[in-house]
Amino acid sequence: MPIIEIVFYLFSTVLVLSALSVITVGNPIHAVLFLILSFFSAACIWILLQAEFLAITLVLVYVGAVMVLFLFVVMMLDVNVTSVKEGFARYLPAGVLVALAMAVQLFLVIWTRGMETVPLPAAEEEGYSHTSMIGELLYTEYLYAFEIAAVLLLVAIIAAISLTHRRRPETKYQDPSRQVRVKRDERLRVIKMKSEGEDA
Amino acid sequence: MLTLAHFITLGAVLFCIGVAGIFLNRKNVLILLMCIELMLLSVNMNFIAFSRFLDVLDGQVFVFFILTVAAAEAAIGLALLVVLFRNRRSISVEDISDLRG
Amino acid sequence: MMDQLLTLLWTMAKILMIILPVTIGVAYYTYFERKVLGYMHARRGPNRIGPLGLLQPFADVFKMLFKELIVPTNASKFLFLLAPLLSLGPALAAWAVVPFDDWLVLADIDAGLLMILALTSMGVYGILLGGWASNSKYALLGGLRAAAQTVSYEIAMGFALVGVIVLAGTLNLTAIVEAQSGNIFTWYWLPLLPLFVIYFVSGVAETNRAPFDVAEGESEIVAGFHVEYSGAGFAVFFLAEYANMILISALASLLFMGGWLSPFAGIPVLGDTILGEGGVHWFLLKTVVFCFLFLWFRATFPRYRYDQIMRLGWKVFIPITIVWIMVAGVFRVMGWFGG
Repeated sequence: MPIIEIVFYLFSTVLVLSALSVITVGNPIHAVLFLILSFFSAACIWILLQAEFLAITLVLVYVGAVMVLFLFVVMMLDVNVTSVKEGFARYLPAGVLVALAMAVQLFLVIWTRGMETVPLPAAEEEGYSHTSMIGELLYTEYLYAFEIAAVLLLVAIIAAISLTHRRRPETKYQDPSRQVRVKRDERLRVIKMKSEGEDA
Repeated sequence: MLTLAHFITLGAVLFCIGVAGIFLNRKNVLILLMCIELMLLSVNMNFIAFSRFLDVLDGQVFVFFILTVAAAEAAIGLALLVVLFRNRRSISVEDISDLRG
Repeated sequence: MMDQLLTLLWTMAKILMIILPVTIGVAYYTYFERKVLGYMHARRGPNRIGPLGLLQPFADVFKMLFKELIVPTNASKFLFLLAPLLSLGPALAAWAVVPFDDWLVLADIDAGLLMILALTSMGVYGILLGGWASNSKYALLGGLRAAAQTVSYEIAMGFALVGVIVLAGTLNLTAIVEAQSGNIFTWYWLPLLPLFVIYFVSGVAETNRAPFDVAEGESEIVAGFHVEYSGAGFAVFFLAEYANMILISALASLLFMGGWLSPFAGIPVLGDTILGEGGVHWFLLKTVVFCFLFLWFRATFPRYRYDQIMRLGWKVFIPITIVWIMVAGVFRVMGWFGG
């Protein structure tokens, strides 16, 4: 068996097993960690498909940022682990049935339409860079879509901040600009009074 | 020999796992979000496999956009989750049914 | 099959040839740190074990290894033991794409810089999980602080690197260094001076070093994420932290200070002598200078408050980097620096 197949089967096994664990483990932290593992093995399979830019982006954006956010939220929310698993057994038959039916349909489509006869194309010759090709495509043909995606991210940032931001009345804040702008007259009152002496 | 069918099958299996996860975990919005991420990952897997086997790079550009949208979705979803937990002390799907008539 | 096996073995040998010097470098970096801090405090630092205290790092390592590894009650044992390894793995793996000279690199891949960014961003999991698995409130606080801080400063750091990518027009580290060749004024520290400063300061924050070491914060949350770790677990966290510091220094010298290029190249008289030739020694020298800066910062600055760190990252660094990326774009279009 060539190395590439061994690698493919290795990582796809890890991917499927960790994806299964995501939906079955009880502790949300463990679920997040399994999701990270599945992203990581997916990235490795993408490298097999010579999509190294996207594979590294997946690790950078997902494993490096989005999943940290997930972990962060899970750790901050004190989720009750036992109540999370409630109803798991009740929905198990329906869930498995739907998933299996869907899988059978998809397999029928995949394995009867000749996809299994399409071999892996030969690797590109040395010096060919997918990264720069994607860059060219992204900044010419898909420029408007790219800009819309950027705006979408901006909207998401603003939405996430405005949703979660709150000012607690009991917390005291400093306002540096007010501190800097303060005038002498607001802080200091000069009063005239007679000196206390014998003649008073 | 690795063929297109191998990679697409992997994508299909992942997608079905994601769907099953949404059915199974009715108590935890967080796991639902993660199942959506899994399904998006499977879609990305298909896009990249087709892009490689058909030798067209547009598929990879689409994956790029899907990653962007999914990141935005995760951020907003988690923000909603935090607000929900703050108000209800629970992240169960069943507790969000107040608008039901 | 035999060929593949040989390639595999040869690659393993090369990996070992990088990891061993890095590990020894880490060991002597701790010695260097104690000596430098010592002299900055007007004392001598370690000087008992071996001549000038040179064997001190080994004494430390043996002490750590022979100590008992305590797993706290109700800690998540598997994750508790996994966390130090998770922080060490990326710190060492990133060295695979670091070029030491124009021919001396393990994996000369296209997207080398992205690869390093991706790997350094994974280092945070070790800290986060170590903090969570310890089942201690101080450790959890330290872990959460470290995670938020690392993610925030990664953005500033990524933007700073975008400036370099714009000028060099490539993600390959070897090509980035070669794009800087000329003399000391064609290195990218000059056109990208703000980005250079921001990159290094973000690097200090990414590695959770003083003055941004609130994740450890020994005066408020005792030792942060590794408060429950002892013996080998603690040693591995320590190793990862110092390996990351050396990595940040190496990257700073590669991306902004011309890597292995000689500062005397292009200068009429000196440039023709042996000093004008580039080589590994220049790269190591520059890296050591940046490593020294880490220690100098630690001896000089008081610790930032947490909200000040966040303010610096989000409200100061990120706007500056965005502006300077545009300036770098102008440089690129006008063809003033390389390109």
